[in-house]
Amino acid sequence: MADDVRERILQAAFACVARYGLAKTTVEDAARAAGLSRATVYRYFPGGRDQLVREVISWEAGRFFARLAAAVAGAPDLPALLEEALVFAHEAVESHEVLQKVLQTEPEVLLGQLTVDADRIVGLVKVFLLPSFEAVALPAGAGAATVADYVARMVLSLIESPGRWDLTDRDQVKDLVRTELLAPLSQV
Amino acid sequence: MTMAPIEEAPAAGPPEPAQRVVDAALRCIARWGLAKTTLDDVAREAGYSRATVYRMFPGGKDGLVQAVAAEELRRFFAGLAVVLDGAGTLEELLVGGMTEAARRVQGHTALQFLLAHELGAVLPHVAFANKAGVFDAAGAFARPYLERWMAPEQAARAAEWVTRVLLSYVACPAEDVDMTDAESVRALVRTFVLPGLRRPAAVDSSL
Repeated sequence: MADDVRERILQAAFACVARYGLAKTTVEDAARAAGLSRATVYRYFPGGRDQLVREVISWEAGRFFARLAAAVAGAPDLPALLEEALVFAHEAVESHEVLQKVLQTEPEVLLGQLTVDADRIVGLVKVFLLPSFEAVALPAGAGAATVADYVARMVLSLIESPGRWDLTDRDQVKDLVRTELLAPLSQV
Repeated sequence: MTMAPIEEAPAAGPPEPAQRVVDAALRCIARWGLAKTTLDDVAREAGYSRATVYRMFPGGKDGLVQAVAAEELRRFFAGLAVVLDGAGTLEELLVGGMTEAARRVQGHTALQFLLAHELGAVLPHVAFANKAGVFDAAGAFARPYLERWMAPEQAARAAEWVTRVLLSYVACPAEDVDMTDAESVRALVRTFVLPGLRRPAAVDSSL
């Protein structure tokens, strides 16, 4: 099963990044950790180390958003979903040891890849939010996709850097969601 | 809407020596990037000796790069101020300010070279925890303008929010939004930003 092998390599490479960092992780390390040969790793990642490191970042970002989606699955309505998403994602970013370590010691490769992935990440969050916006009244002239795109961007911006907001404080998050994030809906 | 030109008007006399070195450094960075630019290159470009440049910037290349960054930020905000000073309504302030900021980022050849080829030189300064510094700088600059239309606490909030909107659409362009086009920015501001600033009541919780 090609997908299983690929997943196994990415998982092993992530463990290597956690241990050695992005710059020091090699194809050999990942192969050893996955219990595979170097040649097998190269078959799946012909770009070698650089490709492997880039794809590990995208892979972990994908897992992060899958955990986020699971965390908000039970939310009763759109404001509650956004509140839960902000609180959960903020806590998950703060407590993500590998992410925090890389941000402090070798942010360049990570941030470069997240920038390349930004389109896809905005798209992921947007698609996730879209059904919620299709179900509510929208401001004149704005389609659900445009509104979902905007809200996805602002959610991601807040997760990356909360700025003046304390995202561990439920009351503040409630205020943030209702008066800022969902402001476009307040005039409908 | 009137737009201040992106290029600065030429100074009356010859630029001060330090200014001349900073401008020379910018041209070198736009041509070769940050990593490959040496103090020798900058000295040659400015028409000074290496020793003269070192005397002006004892911190060497690092000191020079910091001076360049500080000068470019000063110019960025000075250019933005011209537009904001002329805004007669809150909408004009937001549309003019965001459009001008986006145009200045896109029209900055040295910055664009770094964003295309040396992301690592820029991103760590403006991402995750360090984005707080961007919010602080933008907030300190924009608050007095926003306070013409709202209370100080709301102005601080609005300044950060507008910075978020601007950074997101500039860093990761959306298909249907052009941040350098005033009418496109106006649609964004009217639909998404202004409703949050004229906040009559919270969103109905039964949404």
